Amino acid sequence: MTLDFAARARLGGFSYDARFEAGAEIVVLFGHSGAGKSLTLQLIAGLLRPDVGRIAIGGEPVFDSNAGLNLPPQERRIGYVVQDLALFPHMTVAENVAFGMSGADRERRLGGLLDLMRLRDYRDRKPRSLSGGQQQRAALARALAREASLLLLDEPFSALDESLRVELRRELIRLRSELDLSVIFVTHDLREAHLVADRLAVFDAGRLLQFGGRERVFRQPADRRVAELTGVANILRGRVAAARGGELAIEAGGASLRAPAPDGWRPAEGEAVDVAIRAERVNLRRLDADDPEQPNLVRGSVREELAYGATHTLRFESALGQPVEVEIAARPYEVLGVAGQKAWTLELPPEDLHVMPVSPESSPSLSASATTA
Amino acid sequence: MTALRARAPLAGVGLLIAVFAVFFLLPFAGLLERGLDGGAWEAMTSETALDALALSLWTSALSLAIAVVAGTPVAYWLAHARFPGKGAVEALIDLPIVLPPTIAGVALLTAFGRKGLLGAPLDDWFGLTLGFSTVAVIMAQLFVGAPFYVRAARAGFAGVDAQYERVAHTLGASRLRAFARIALPLSWPSLAAGAALCWARALGELGATLIFAGNLRGETQTMPLAILSAFERADGLTAAVALAILLLAVALVALAAFWLLAARGRGAA
Repeated sequence: MTLDFAARARLGGFSYDARFEAGAEIVVLFGHSGAGKSLTLQLIAGLLRPDVGRIAIGGEPVFDSNAGLNLPPQERRIGYVVQDLALFPHMTVAENVAFGMSGADRERRLGGLLDLMRLRDYRDRKPRSLSGGQQQRAALARALAREASLLLLDEPFSALDESLRVELRRELIRLRSELDLSVIFVTHDLREAHLVADRLAVFDAGRLLQFGGRERVFRQPADRRVAELTGVANILRGRVAAARGGELAIEAGGASLRAPAPDGWRPAEGEAVDVAIRAERVNLRRLDADDPEQPNLVRGSVREELAYGATHTLRFESALGQPVEVEIAARPYEVLGVAGQKAWTLELPPEDLHVMPVSPESSPSLSASATTA
Repeated sequence: MTALRARAPLAGVGLLIAVFAVFFLLPFAGLLERGLDGGAWEAMTSETALDALALSLWTSALSLAIAVVAGTPVAYWLAHARFPGKGAVEALIDLPIVLPPTIAGVALLTAFGRKGLLGAPLDDWFGLTLGFSTVAVIMAQLFVGAPFYVRAARAGFAGVDAQYERVAHTLGASRLRAFARIALPLSWPSLAAGAALCWARALGELGATLIFAGNLRGETQTMPLAILSAFERADGLTAAVALAILLLAVALVALAAFWLLAARGRGAA
């Protein structure tokens, strides 16, 4: 099963523009609320109509503005779980799940689905008497009942407790490979995105900022905004001092950083760049006064500290002239004796630095407010 | 002391409610008391009464059926469509509710009467006369009753979260199936209430019928008109009371049966 999606739309004051595709995989649409994730699902389902674009499910176009084609929702073979679930309140769980079913072995398949979602004991209950988690399972079962090979899931696990979430994510990943499913999965939860995504589409303000493999998007965000959205705590503004071979020398504040040149893009000497490094990738070293000035080693002193139990987050004032956030696990935190020691050397390993172009609309002041918020 | 002061206004409200209740119940008691007089049974089973009752029942049932068949799509469309001037259209549909029935009768006459806007050409070209016929009775009932159904149905449909029908579409349901399985059962109580009001209004219709359809026994004389005719005769009060009791009893039985059916329909949906 495949999905090809390209759409532009203007809805009131909101402009939307995105293009991506999915094979038999889980594509996570990620972004803040109002970014256009749910809208994307509605466009695919046919509940909203793009101004321009082409949408094909399994190679068959369901919308094509050039050809004047726009199939109604009931003729698009999809399973769709909307965010507010919209279980039919006047029907029992079994009636809800069976609503989209056709064919002879309905009863058997219904039983199978109710078992799968562990709803057998609730089959004759009305939705309002179910817990939030049971309602989500019922909505998921109803969407699966159509046996569509494209599943659209809008925050489907948000009301579930953690153990059930873990189980259903695993179930989803199993279903995807067993049933040759394409799953478009909307979430604003970074961890969930990381767990279920094969590929990741990052949305912001109606635009698809980056679409790619999960690791690539997380490790190599396209620009400052994607880095911010995907939880990169440190985005440092610098200037390219030298570019030779596969390596860049970048001046930031009073320090210099070495970083690998990014794929498919070569900044010129003197060009301003953004350098991303995740908080957990920064290493702490004991300060040694005799240390020679080396690239990627930066002096800093602790300004703020937050203890999360398993990890500690430290905010440093650094020689880069910009604050640096460091996340360190509880054990090394104790072994190093971080508590009570203010001055440290911060190591920013070159392989963990990612150089991004400075996009016109992303100003450093914007990122400063985002990282401290 | 404080308890007494707090209770004083409560007692006042209680008295008000009691007076109000007496005001509404006493006329029914009066009807029954008069109805126990001799001659009431005779009046009830007279040919005039039974003719009028039969006419009332089948014309009001037909009016209701037409109101439901034609009014349901209108109500559904009004509940979902957005267009300029929608408020004006809705006000126009509600107009017969607030319009005095005599005005409705005159208006119908000017439109469909022998000299009316549409009535004149119908009479000239086809020799078809609507006024002062059983058709006119039904038209008068429909005119005053249908808005009650459309109004209630529109509110019922508007109260169903549009998301349900959208989801039904994504589950493969056609517009008709989504309507039948989602919108209809979820707005059932409103539809039933609207239908009951529409029927009751049609059954009690007097003013518009009198002006547009006249008072011809067996043809346009419905129960309310029969009661009026009886009342206008010398010493006709007993007969009027008898007919009134008969109409009241039939209306109560019909409404009770209707609510039972509606409740069962809701349970099954």
